[in-house]
Amino acid sequence: MKGIIFAFLGGAFITLQGVANARISQDIGTWQAATITQLTGFLMALLILLLVRDGKWRSFMQVKPLYLTGGALAAIIIFTNVVAIQKVGVTLSIAVILIAQLALTFIIDANGWFGVVKQKVKMPQFIGIGMMIAGVLILSS
Amino acid sequence: MIVGLLFAAIAGSLVSLQNIFNSKVNERASTWSTTTLVLGLGFLASFLFGIAFEGKQLFNLQDMKTWYWFSGIIGVGVVTCIVNGMRLLGPTYTISIMMTSQLGFALLFDSLGWLGLAQVPFTFKQLLGVLIIIAGIVVFKFSGSSEKQAVVKATKYVS
Repeated sequence: MKGIIFAFLGGAFITLQGVANARISQDIGTWQAATITQLTGFLMALLILLLVRDGKWRSFMQVKPLYLTGGALAAIIIFTNVVAIQKVGVTLSIAVILIAQLALTFIIDANGWFGVVKQKVKMPQFIGIGMMIAGVLILSS
Repeated sequence: MIVGLLFAAIAGSLVSLQNIFNSKVNERASTWSTTTLVLGLGFLASFLFGIAFEGKQLFNLQDMKTWYWFSGIIGVGVVTCIVNGMRLLGPTYTISIMMTSQLGFALLFDSLGWLGLAQVPFTFKQLLGVLIIIAGIVVFKFSGSSEKQAVVKATKYVS
């Protein structure tokens, strides 16, 4: 039961994050909103890192440099997310984001790109994505 | 409308890429080191884009409200919830519940117009669309192989 509450709240926070970014962007601009939320999030995470003391900074050296840069993508993610919410609303934005996210991960897994373990493609996965697209078509019709 | 949908698709694709990159980092480093690095780089990139596109205007924060300074902490809440969800439920259930909750709250925010966003009236069509999408997520997630799910880490969702 506790796990369900955590997962439920996790989803709520992700949506809230997008909505808050869109709201803040209206007042101070999108790049300003992205810069401030990432800065305060970074400071908070750093504080927690110092409290839990599980930082093994050297372990970053064992990671391929490309993978270390993933965080920088957040700038474009926040920007496109905010514009999408402002143009088509929260529901449609999140729905399309989830489809693109699952579909690209699916393609990367199927091809074994970026050194991920290659996964066999399964028919129900196509059906699942097809149903999600059908849902978006209903939403946007 | 097309612009909005296209931008959402770009956002989702980049989330997928970021998830994979972050989980590669998380294989070696701890969850909070990874989160700190990810948010730090997110700040740096946003700052540089901001300077490039807005120049000095980036520092013009006169319409800033106090709570804006705290909104970044939501990201820390996301990581905490996912770490604990994954630990207690495993990835398939956690991600399915999380995505369902994401869509449910999206519908709620749209129909109530919370936080001063444009209100999108709630209709039966919207509810139907969201329910079909959730069913699609469940079919997709529960048909995937279990090995794949095992490498999913919480830091995937940090942005």
